[in-house]
Amino acid sequence: MGDEWRNATSVTHSAWLLRLVISIRRLTVTYGRTLALDRLDLDLGPGVIGLFGPNGSGKSTLLRVLSGLLRPSAGTVELCGRPISSSDEGFRRRVGYAGHESGLYPRLTLEENLSLFARLYDLPARRGLEVAEEVGLSNRLQTRAGELSAGLKRRAAVARALLHGPDLLLLDEPYANLDDDAAEEVTRAIQGWSGPERTALIATHGAKRLKAYAAGGVILKQGRVVVEGRYSRAREPAPRA
Amino acid sequence: MRPSGFLAKTSALAIKDLRVELRGRDTLPPMLAFAFTVALVLAFAVPELPATARPTKLTVALAYVEAGFLWITVLFAGLIGFARTFEVEREEGAIDALLLAPVDRSGLFIAKAAANLVFVACVEAVVVPSLALFFAIDLGAGWLPLLGVIVLVDLGFVAAGTLFAAVAAQTRSRELLLPLLALPTLVPVFIAAIELTADLFLGAAFDDMAGRGWFAILLAFDVIYGVVAALTFELALD
Repeated sequence: MGDEWRNATSVTHSAWLLRLVISIRRLTVTYGRTLALDRLDLDLGPGVIGLFGPNGSGKSTLLRVLSGLLRPSAGTVELCGRPISSSDEGFRRRVGYAGHESGLYPRLTLEENLSLFARLYDLPARRGLEVAEEVGLSNRLQTRAGELSAGLKRRAAVARALLHGPDLLLLDEPYANLDDDAAEEVTRAIQGWSGPERTALIATHGAKRLKAYAAGGVILKQGRVVVEGRYSRAREPAPRA
Repeated sequence: MRPSGFLAKTSALAIKDLRVELRGRDTLPPMLAFAFTVALVLAFAVPELPATARPTKLTVALAYVEAGFLWITVLFAGLIGFARTFEVEREEGAIDALLLAPVDRSGLFIAKAAANLVFVACVEAVVVPSLALFFAIDLGAGWLPLLGVIVLVDLGFVAAGTLFAAVAAQTRSRELLLPLLALPTLVPVFIAAIELTADLFLGAAFDDMAGRGWFAILLAFDVIYGVVAALTFELALD
């Protein structure tokens, strides 16, 4: 991805930053003696952003912090100028998160799971059916979540994260265990969700798949941003190394 | 949040927990198995005494022992259930999705406590008649006041148990931490429960029991723990 970023212009990068959605400053997270994120600085605007890096680079930790599920050891994270907090119900309505696990109740059917979360988000139960259709799971609605294959669970997790149309979508390895057709359906669902005021941060090892539609990417290594920028396909991106 | 939305979400979460238990049967069967086994074993620990018109020292002591057996059984069976309160949320990481949903944390507490209340009530529905049968207790008209005592005990017991289950669930040694936190806190509730139940076993009049203050202690505990748990549940989950 480096060549594409090198072709970008800094002018458009500045324009992108004017629509800044997430501002991260000196974000540090430690687990005991392990430093997961190390004084990380990052600005994110609207669009789908890929989050890349080797295992243990801090991708999942960054997503959990951005979701409000994990409190950082130090540093600040702001969403549209306001510090994020999972105790803020307004913030929780704006964020959709799917981690490594499906986030579903294994003993409930997929339909029961999605209907439950639809109700928790004050949405009609049929919204659960709609989002299941978007990720190609309409024929699995009566299957218990615990009986879904690993790939189907990933799609179900994405469906749950998209259910309420969040402004900020955080997906951790959404393409894990997916075959090409299933991955295509997840991509379509994410593209269908995306909009000019929406930001998605998608952690994945499959950079190729994301590059097809992502606006930019961030590479983490040892808890720090080593490369950050926009893809040059639309001649708009700007690199910041 | 609109009250109707709060109630709808809270009831949806409580129904979810009960539905998961109906399908998984992970919580209630061990609670019931423990409670019934203990009740059965304790039946052999208490001698049967001839009925007397007036309570003697021995019958009074026996009433307290039987009341103690009843509530100790309920207490430990309840702790077995409380320890599993958040297991359903841990499987597949549903706790993350739940914590991110726009649900008031007090609603989350009420839903969890309601499900636990159902489990504890099921245990009592087995233990109370079983012990009454094993110990040949004739409550007569005392069943209704006993039901009142059970309700008052359960409210405080479940409120404290659910709160401490949430605290313990955040730690690795959750099985150890839950009884360490809950047992000392629950002592006043169960002392009051034993006092009131023993009175009922001895055929005391309701007015006499009310005058001893144990009802007030139970009521105070219910209110304090209900309110404190609902307000601090977010901190417990943090």
